[in-house]
Amino acid sequence: MRLAIGFLAATALFGQVTYERLLKAPSEPNNWMTYSGSYQSWRYSSLDQINRQNIGNLKVAWVQQMPTSHRIEATPTVVDGIMYVTEPPSNVFALDAATGRPYWHYKRSLPAYNVCCDAVNRGVAVLGDRVFLGTVDAHLVALNAKTGAVLWDVEVADRKTGYSVTGAPLVVKDMVITGVAGGEYGVRGFLDAYDIKTGKRRWRFNTVPGPGEKGHETWPTTGPNANSWKQGGGPTWVTGSFDPELNLLIWGVGNPSPDWNADVREGDNLYTDSAIALDVDTGQLKWHYQFVPHDANDWDAVQVPVLVDSDWQGKPRKLIYWAHRGGFYYVLDRQTGEFLLGKPFAKQTWAKEIDAKGRPVRLPNTAPTVEGNVIWPGVQGATNWYSPSYNPLTSLFYLTAWENKGWYLKGEPKYTPGNRYVGSVPDIDMADDPGYGAIRALNPKTGELVWEHKTQTKPWSGVMTTGSKLLFGASGGWLNRSSREDSEAYFFALDAENGKELWRINLGGTMASNPMTYMVNGKQMVTMAAGSAVFTFALP
Amino acid sequence: MFLVAAGCAFGQAVNTQATPAGRAAGEKIFRSHCASCHGVSGAGGTGPNLTTGVFYHGSTDADLYRNISQGIEGTAMPDQFFNGVQIWQIVAYVRWLSATPVRPKLVGNAAHGAELFRQKGCSDCHLVRGEGGVRGPDLSVIGSQRAPAYLRESIVEPGAHVAPEFWVAKVITKDGKNHSGFLLNQDSYAIQMLDFADGLRMIQRADFKDFGIDRGSAMPSYRDKLSAAELDDLTAFLASLERPREKN
Repeated sequence: MRLAIGFLAATALFGQVTYERLLKAPSEPNNWMTYSGSYQSWRYSSLDQINRQNIGNLKVAWVQQMPTSHRIEATPTVVDGIMYVTEPPSNVFALDAATGRPYWHYKRSLPAYNVCCDAVNRGVAVLGDRVFLGTVDAHLVALNAKTGAVLWDVEVADRKTGYSVTGAPLVVKDMVITGVAGGEYGVRGFLDAYDIKTGKRRWRFNTVPGPGEKGHETWPTTGPNANSWKQGGGPTWVTGSFDPELNLLIWGVGNPSPDWNADVREGDNLYTDSAIALDVDTGQLKWHYQFVPHDANDWDAVQVPVLVDSDWQGKPRKLIYWAHRGGFYYVLDRQTGEFLLGKPFAKQTWAKEIDAKGRPVRLPNTAPTVEGNVIWPGVQGATNWYSPSYNPLTSLFYLTAWENKGWYLKGEPKYTPGNRYVGSVPDIDMADDPGYGAIRALNPKTGELVWEHKTQTKPWSGVMTTGSKLLFGASGGWLNRSSREDSEAYFFALDAENGKELWRINLGGTMASNPMTYMVNGKQMVTMAAGSAVFTFALP
Repeated sequence: MFLVAAGCAFGQAVNTQATPAGRAAGEKIFRSHCASCHGVSGAGGTGPNLTTGVFYHGSTDADLYRNISQGIEGTAMPDQFFNGVQIWQIVAYVRWLSATPVRPKLVGNAAHGAELFRQKGCSDCHLVRGEGGVRGPDLSVIGSQRAPAYLRESIVEPGAHVAPEFWVAKVITKDGKNHSGFLLNQDSYAIQMLDFADGLRMIQRADFKDFGIDRGSAMPSYRDKLSAAELDDLTAFLASLERPREKN
């Protein structure tokens, strides 16, 4: 028996990530092989060595400092004892997952690039002996997993017109899927699939349809704004999910451009602010659901789609749980995109309700104005890219929520390639009422609040839950203009059943990524990035 | 590409947008893109006051152009917004802000104002270039940060504009002790304050019996404590406290 275990361990150490292993990722909790931990994107691990009784003993196991001045938004990937973690802007470290000691470091030489909100990266994808990385100069790169050597490097889009890649790619079958960023630069968004061996593009889905394509009629087609679709935005900067049975890629699409003046783009502006479902082999659209038609507040739908099979009103159904930036929690049918539920999870003042067909009923005077307009939620939303979690043991949906307002202004947008195309600059973190943050647990069937853990600082990081009913989250923001909020940087563990805080540590730096967990040498490890370092915790 | 283009623009000797039409266009852009930080009138908010004519990161037209086009590293000033013409329009408007009656000619005697600053107790609470107290804002370069009208108003009506870092936290702890001081930080578990009595102090929220934040000013009004001439002199002194000008 001992021998058998030793043999298996050795096999795993030198094994390679296959598509079959990715399909069954939840059965390998020792590893964390995709951005959200599995194709279903639960950001849940069945590991339970660290539990509600011993969590008080959790200690720092190792720290890897990174020579970067940019914010770390990466979720590390761990495969068979090796951690692959990106260092912003577009570098990769391969670390020993037990000690944090680096095996190799890929450092990319970068030309000038255009990124709206710091030069960040959210992680890599792995398959076979390859590690895949998107870059701020809008390339996709395949690296040798053992050496960091470049195997191929392809341009995804023209960086000079404002495209970049900041999200973690997703490997499906023999393809690597990547989105793009650039919604503040008037890009035309898309989602791409590339051949993992050659880097050749297999398909592209344009998130803003062109003439002759379905959905183009939701953009001006005549008059002075007839070309607005060409700079229509719709970036795809956060990793989506995959349903192997339906063969569907489910992905969130970001804001229309320009962000805060929608006058130049009359219409619903599909497929911005939408969930899209694509046939993963062809990139063909199967369905879409638009959260905010004709958005003028920058409320991207770049949240991670959480795929759950469950009863819905007495019948088994393939569902998507989705808490959107505009402040509503949604349940969608995964096969058809049918709207099933829409309920506020935070204060919002822009919609009376979501009607029976799933369309928000806008309240009057809720678009940005020349004089400025105060609206809840603020421009960073009631949640944002921070990963949610679904825990099958508690059957609860967990998310990072913000209670906050914004001052929305409307100016005159003018498109020039490579410059921001936004229409105005709104105010956030308003001094008279900066709001607060919370980790919230929702009943996913009703959207009702089960518990909340309030934080003084609005968190910029997601949550992760485990098989011991622990939730890991953080309250550290990025560098706000308001220095009084800079200092909170707590990484904490809550009881996932009732929200009671069980453990915390001040990590003293910006936390804008998501926690993850893995096991190495028989020890469960929990990792979170803070400041310019990656912190990993374990029991003594 | 961007840097090269911007570099060429720096070479522009005269701002051809410094016309009424150019300024008007610049004002529109300023309102929608700059006012959320610099204030609708340009007198400052979370971003600095732009009406004084002195800019910490460079005061020439080329400096302003560079900072608007490329942002200012290490600050919240962003980059990559506009093409050359629009940036020159903003430069024209910002120049106009500091050339208009927002900055009237000062009538007071700054040297006498300096004496009043000591005599009237201002220096008990305010630091000026290393001397004074810490119960109010450091005024060492306040002339570069705030317009004279703002300074005058702050003397007679201190509560008119109180920056959040000078809000006063008032705590009664469970052991019955009272603490008040500037609220430096607050997080989910504790607050940090510059206690007027005891200096730097951290108090756990779990120890609060009562806690409040006074967004008014701890400073008394000097409306009835200064003559009109003295108010002019004190304002002139504060306005003279400028950052050393850069050599251009």
